[in-house]
Amino acid sequence: MKSLLAFTKKEITSQLRSVRLIILGILFVLLGVMNTAIAKLTPLLLDAVSDTISQSGISITPVTVSALDSWMQFFKNIPLGLIVFILLESDIFTREYRSGTLIPPLTKGLARHNVVISKAVVLTTLWTLCYWLCFVITYCCNAYFWDNSVAQNLMFSVVCWWLFGLWVTVSAVFFSTVAKSNIIVLAGVGCSILALYLLSFIPELKAYLPIMLTDGNSLISGIEKAKTYNSAIIITGVLTIAYLAVSFPVFNKRNL
Amino acid sequence: MLHITNLHKSFGDKDVLRGLNLSVPEHSIYGFIGKNGSGKTTTMKTVLGLLKSDAGEIKVNGESVCYGQTATNRYIGYLPDVPEFYPFMTAPEYLTFCGEVTGMRKSDIAKRSEELLTLVGLADEKHRIRGFSRGMKQRLGIAQALFNRPKLLICDEPTSALDPIGRKEILDILLAIRDETTVLFSTHILSDVERICTDVAFLTGGVVRVCGKLSDIKSKYRSEGYILEAENVEDMLKLLQAFPDIKQIGGNQLVFRENGVTVFDVLHFLTDKHIRLLKLERIEPTLESLFMEVTEE
Ligand SMILES: Nc1ncnc2c1ncn2[C@@H]1O[C@H](COP(=O)(O)OP(=O)(O)O)[C@@H](O)[C@H]1O
Ligand SMILES: [Mg+2]
Repeated sequence: MKSLLAFTKKEITSQLRSVRLIILGILFVLLGVMNTAIAKLTPLLLDAVSDTISQSGISITPVTVSALDSWMQFFKNIPLGLIVFILLESDIFTREYRSGTLIPPLTKGLARHNVVISKAVVLTTLWTLCYWLCFVITYCCNAYFWDNSVAQNLMFSVVCWWLFGLWVTVSAVFFSTVAKSNIIVLAGVGCSILALYLLSFIPELKAYLPIMLTDGNSLISGIEKAKTYNSAIIITGVLTIAYLAVSFPVFNKRNL
Repeated sequence: MLHITNLHKSFGDKDVLRGLNLSVPEHSIYGFIGKNGSGKTTTMKTVLGLLKSDAGEIKVNGESVCYGQTATNRYIGYLPDVPEFYPFMTAPEYLTFCGEVTGMRKSDIAKRSEELLTLVGLADEKHRIRGFSRGMKQRLGIAQALFNRPKLLICDEPTSALDPIGRKEILDILLAIRDETTVLFSTHILSDVERICTDVAFLTGGVVRVCGKLSDIKSKYRSEGYILEAENVEDMLKLLQAFPDIKQIGGNQLVFRENGVTVFDVLHFLTDKHIRLLKLERIEPTLESLFMEVTEE
């Protein structure tokens, strides 16, 4: 237990003292602000353009925006956050393989499963913090201008997307226990998402795939009911646990 | 302290270790000598349970080593060949981390850190490990390896990448700790071995060829070789004809080993034939000549 805490403390220090954390912080704050800003600015931009366009004979009816538009921006932009998060953190294991920094603690009796636990906990916590930071900022900005309640199932849809990100994060942990370099980790994560994306074109399958959870827009605009997401939630949860469970024996068998 | 019997290990179709036997007695400084690529690192990593052996048994302090979750590592301190530590930490922070990982008490950790940092000369170093030179990392490596007072310290080529002063510092540290711990260190630098080792083993072709106390090995080989120099070519030819085991090594110099012919046979012959010598000298075998001989077989 002591060694697990010591290694986790080291993981946290590693995050705190790296430039990665600063980049992630700035990015997710920026994304949070931008969701509202883009929604707010759209009519102003259209106004500006319509002046010039109306002279050419086409008239644009003035649009009104609401919190719904901002939340749509949220679901459109958050993938960028996840991609950067995975890009920056994909070498959390592999940089230790490459430099051999795991050898001293492991030969001092640190159990191998503690390495996986520490890194998985730190990564998923970091993802959770980044994600909800972005959410809270968008929520507050929206509340300032409009009324958040126009978005239906808001909390539910946001939790769905967070769960999707959690699954992607854990899959990065799993691929890290297999791969030698972070390029392979990225390829593994990318390919598994791509495979799901392609599978989601089969209508009968769509409701069962983790990809379904990223479709927050259908939820907040009321096109889809919350319960149609239930199977996808269960399957994503099971996949997340499975990826994590398989990581331990794989990492135990690794030549370091 | 450490017993390896019949260790086999191959990578793909490449047999690196083919039945290696090694026995390291307690309180020795054991030099594990071999050319680059002879399998020193492989042997050490197998002892630490970082690599899985194909066959053979390893015992540390009487307990068998198993791969993966290696309980015997609690007896061992290990300095890897290219030691790397978390670059974002300072040396004291790293040693504290080591202490916490092994589950030591806070007060012990602080005391031991200070002790070791002084021993390896890093006590005044405030910078992060990111900026450490190779020699500083090597010294920090010894400090972390010694942290939980291991019974066996395994160092993989601790001096190979260092300049003469850095090497001397490391060797001095190893000498200073020999009362507390057994040291096994691999190297291909023979002068280092002569300086500090009590025992040696030569690794070649995947097996240990020669091993034992350094003094025994040296005296065993010392008794065998002689160089003699004749006054002129005729005398030299006479000797060459009489003793087929004698070899010419340039000029009027001859060399022989006492396995076919003894020095007394030669002296008899010289007195019988009234041959004078310029020189008769017993060869001091250097480890180097021994190393060459062992590895070339
Ligand atoms: N992970 C590995 N995969 C394939 N071959 C390896 C691996 N590690 C070592 N070898 C090979 O095993 C041999 C012994 O290597 P090593 O134990 O590092 O030698 P040394 O430490 O004595 O210089 C080398 O020829 C090396 O190429
Ligand atoms: Mg080596």
